[in-house]
Amino acid sequence: MSRLELDSRTSKGEAPKAPKARKPRRARTSVFWLAMPLLVIAALVFVLPVTGLLPEEGQDLTRTRQPPAFLSGGTWEHPLGTDKRGQDVLTELVTSGRLTIMIGLVGALVAIGPGVLIGLLAGYFRGWVDKVISILIDAQLALPFILIALAIISNRGSSLPVLFLVLALTGWAACARVTRATTLAVRERQFILGLRAVGASEARIVFRHVLPNLAGTIVALGTLQVGTAILVESALSFLGLGVVPPKASWGSMLASGQDELSQAWWIAFFPGLAITVLVLLVNLLGDALLTHHDPRKRRR
Amino acid sequence: MTELVNISGLSITARLSHGDLRLLEDVDLDIGRGEVVGVVGESGSGKTTLARSVVGLLEKNVRVDGGSISLAGEQIIAPGVDRTGRVRGTAVGMVFQDASRSLNPLMKVRAHLAEVLRRHVRGISRNDIERRSVEVLEQMRITDAKRVLDSYPHQLSGGLRQRVAIGLAVVTRPSLVIADECTTALDVTTQTKVVELFRSLVDELGIGLLFVTHDLMLASDLCDRIAVMNSGRVVEQGPAMEVLDRPRQDYTQRLLRAIPTWS
Repeated sequence: MSRLELDSRTSKGEAPKAPKARKPRRARTSVFWLAMPLLVIAALVFVLPVTGLLPEEGQDLTRTRQPPAFLSGGTWEHPLGTDKRGQDVLTELVTSGRLTIMIGLVGALVAIGPGVLIGLLAGYFRGWVDKVISILIDAQLALPFILIALAIISNRGSSLPVLFLVLALTGWAACARVTRATTLAVRERQFILGLRAVGASEARIVFRHVLPNLAGTIVALGTLQVGTAILVESALSFLGLGVVPPKASWGSMLASGQDELSQAWWIAFFPGLAITVLVLLVNLLGDALLTHHDPRKRRR
Repeated sequence: MTELVNISGLSITARLSHGDLRLLEDVDLDIGRGEVVGVVGESGSGKTTLARSVVGLLEKNVRVDGGSISLAGEQIIAPGVDRTGRVRGTAVGMVFQDASRSLNPLMKVRAHLAEVLRRHVRGISRNDIERRSVEVLEQMRITDAKRVLDSYPHQLSGGLRQRVAIGLAVVTRPSLVIADECTTALDVTTQTKVVELFRSLVDELGIGLLFVTHDLMLASDLCDRIAVMNSGRVVEQGPAMEVLDRPRQDYTQRLLRAIPTWS
């Protein structure tokens, strides 16, 4: 038998057993099933107010603190009850959901966008770039969040762009630190050296090879940051520094319902539940996306 | 045999916090076209530093103090000179120790090959990339090239992965290939196959091969000439059989005695 024949036989034996590298079903379906409820929430929040199915917006002081329909004393006119100003909780939940979802998503993006980029540069290029950035990160993390928020809001007033500025300024450092640490590990991996050996440019290595290998970290940061943004906003609203009336978010609803907990728990409970469900779904979606992104984690 | 690589008097130093450390001292080594030169020695002897200096993949704190490296008559490394950027991936290909770590786990084999081809062959079409990728994998004795192209690194066996890595190094038809301990992570039978593959590539393509290994038996199978390194110096070099059968230096004799035997 010639060497070539022998080789062709052995290499056949070595070939991967899995047929074709296809995206397996589970990853696709879990992304689908987790994206679905989020889409439903988004649809409800964005479409329902337009349909006219909801009880009317506005205050009605004759019907304050009315309990939800499933409790005694409640009516289906106000399925989730009314708040201390007689506003329908469901209507408020739906209309303020838009703002909340936007705060969550944009708030996460403004923090992780710069944070990841800065951390990536520090971790990949090391040297003086890393030193300067690390000092900035340390300085940022040493400043109490509330101090920065107060300083900016008292100076610039309370508005959405200012809220995003606060979220970006307080969120980037943690993102940068985590990204830097992960980048330091990825840049030492042999395939990075291999890429240099084939003459790949630094920019290409950083953005095409290092960045995708940070996806796990970025998704984890992103999903956490959505939750953080919503919670930070509710904390600021509680202090009267976040979303100001007549605008409302789930955070500000939660904040305004806190002092009513003993008499009308539903005012705070439903926005709290909505925040929990949203953050949980975003986290689960992040996990599913991650599994979908990494071929090694997909079911073979 | 025409000369391809000429390393003469190469000295390299690393600057460390507690002082300088000489990594290579006055190293002379030539590689001809169609020739396999083995560099052997124990860990820390400077084999990898020598291999990486040819492609300019040295750490930032490492500098060339003296000597030079020329490739096909053109000086690419000398004190204060580093022209390796233009030969990396084109005239010189490199294969690393462990292919499971030298390939991006998130990219299919097809994307790996396409990336190198796009980088070095200007305006190459998708069809040409596909054709060349299949061609090079077949050259690596991979029979089901299409399926391998569609696989992620983790879906391939160790031997197959290493052949893909070798394919990546030769896809741009370099004149020199550097293999840095590239058989270390493989089992013995797969090692033999990789060595056979290298031999046939050298014979078919007429490339020069710098084969860095600590495995003397493997070096004796594959290499035309062998250079023995110790503490950053080439202590002995010559035709493979001569160095291994009649070692002149103490160090080489000790290396040979260290090979485990059945008795």
